[in-house]
Amino acid sequence: MPAIIACFKWVVDEAYVRRMASGELDFSSVDYKIGEYDRNAIEEAVRLKETLGGSAIGITVSVPEATKGVKDALSRGCDQACFIADSSFGNLEPSQTAAILAEVIHSRIQSFDLIICGEGSSDLYAQQVGPRLSEKLGIPSVSFVQKLSIEGGKLLAERRVEEGIEVIAAPLPALVTVLPDINVPRIPGVKDTLMASKKPVVTIKKDELQPLGEACLQTLSITASRIERTCERFGTNAAEISRFVGSLRKTGVIR
Amino acid sequence: MDFMLTEEQELIRQNMREFCKNFVDPIAVEIDENSRHPAELLQKLAEGDWLGMPIPQEYGGAGADQLTFVIAVEELSRSCASTGFTLSTHAGIVCMMFLLFGTEDQKKKFLIPLAKGQHLGAFALTEPAAGTDIMAATASAIIDGNDYVINGTKTFTTNGPTAETYLVFVWTDKAAGRKGMSTLIVPRSAPGLRVGEHFKKMGLRSSQTSEMIFKDCRVPRENLLGKEGMGLQMAMTGFDHGRIGIAAQCVGILQAALDESIRYSKERVQFGTPIARHQAIAWMIADMATALSAARFLTYHAAWLKNQNKPFSKEAAMAKLYASEAAMKHTVKAVQIHGGYGYCKGAKVERLMRDAKITEIYEGTSEAQRMVISGNVLR
Repeated sequence: MPAIIACFKWVVDEAYVRRMASGELDFSSVDYKIGEYDRNAIEEAVRLKETLGGSAIGITVSVPEATKGVKDALSRGCDQACFIADSSFGNLEPSQTAAILAEVIHSRIQSFDLIICGEGSSDLYAQQVGPRLSEKLGIPSVSFVQKLSIEGGKLLAERRVEEGIEVIAAPLPALVTVLPDINVPRIPGVKDTLMASKKPVVTIKKDELQPLGEACLQTLSITASRIERTCERFGTNAAEISRFVGSLRKTGVIR
Repeated sequence: MDFMLTEEQELIRQNMREFCKNFVDPIAVEIDENSRHPAELLQKLAEGDWLGMPIPQEYGGAGADQLTFVIAVEELSRSCASTGFTLSTHAGIVCMMFLLFGTEDQKKKFLIPLAKGQHLGAFALTEPAAGTDIMAATASAIIDGNDYVINGTKTFTTNGPTAETYLVFVWTDKAAGRKGMSTLIVPRSAPGLRVGEHFKKMGLRSSQTSEMIFKDCRVPRENLLGKEGMGLQMAMTGFDHGRIGIAAQCVGILQAALDESIRYSKERVQFGTPIARHQAIAWMIADMATALSAARFLTYHAAWLKNQNKPFSKEAAMAKLYASEAAMKHTVKAVQIHGGYGYCKGAKVERLMRDAKITEIYEGTSEAQRMVISGNVLR
């Protein structure tokens, strides 16, 4: 009966981000949610647990306000949660997040069979936490997973790669990062949500952890990308068509 | 004063929103057009424990409080006011009345399948000649051996064509006046009950509404809800709860009208600029947003009072009165903002406007709400 860990990130819900006229992004009235692919990770952990028995543990490194995200993960079927919280954890870079997760999983959870992460986070999509975490724990890592099972004590994973589908077997414990096609995350029922706060949550504070390494990267600014649109009208006679082709050449659309 | 929702309430709103996006929005136009009961949707709502939301878990419900229930009805109505109303009538009134007045046996037999969403419930009070003037009702029941024998006709019964369990209000002692009405639990299978055809309505078309004809209809005496003579009093309690539900439905309609108006007015260009930049339109939207907030606060306040076990009859009437009239007024404005496109099928605001009208009529007309409110404040 496997113990499965699902990692998730509490991210800004992009629907609430406003783009100001200057191109700057306005985060003043944003709401937060569990990252889209991380919902797939949680769903897959719970699905496996429901078929094989065992337990699913949700784990996140976030700001203390992310308690709603922890409840959300529990309402989605995790049996317990591990909440590593500090007000300085809002903008960690992937190497730091992976280091914290590795330390907590190593010291507090110890025995586990599988770690499932989303392929990337909904906000930055750096795709680094999963692979870095497996490296730190010294376990195999399988990315781009679209189908997953545990058979005979081994992991079987279908990876979607450019040329086709690769099927991988790996010994447990292992880590996988999953694609959104792997499942359709459930919508928690009312009871699931109301009962979530009755499930056990282990909260870990920053001072219980090893000192955090310096960030390698620094975010200097964020602005919205801009698509310039121009509108030009062409007729249907020969001269107009050659003017149209000329225009496409000029803008570099065709050579 | 605390205006914060709990994390659970926020999550439930978010979950209902996602439920609507996946399952309600794709069929909302079709079920309105065809006046169809969305049985498959009700099944999904049952699976998510939405149909028994405010009922304790021991009776098959989810054990949510009134405010949480209001939030769910609001969000559901934002996508489909018909389905919002089906939920509100079933859970907010019928299930609630079983919870408040049912015996332990009645709760086990009727409330559990209702709260689990295996059965739908309906509330049958109105008669062809007795709307606001409920004392003009004529349906009656007499005792014959171990049965009540019911005769009469009810009309505009919400969930009539689809329900399995009906709460029917009948005279058991007409001479006793206001203390002469009783509430009987009538299963669909009761001999002598005939359920009429679903009415063709202007709006709220997928919410099923029918006549119910009782001809020597028999139910066992143990199907009396509460005590004989308490019927009118129970009906009023049912209405108090129901009005919070209608107010929540109106808040959902208003939110949808605002969503649509904002979206369209930013896209639609006239005189070289999006119409949202024209003051005439911007001010309509300002008024709509203000009315939405006012309606929402009145509604949440009534639900909050119920959560605190405080009297909420007047506040429920105020919320229902204000929210329904605001929903009507501002859905008309939303159609105005959409111009000709808003008048055509396919525009959501067209459906919202048709759906809004009934909210000023059912569960007590606006005029009846003013009677309740003035009766309270002039006491």
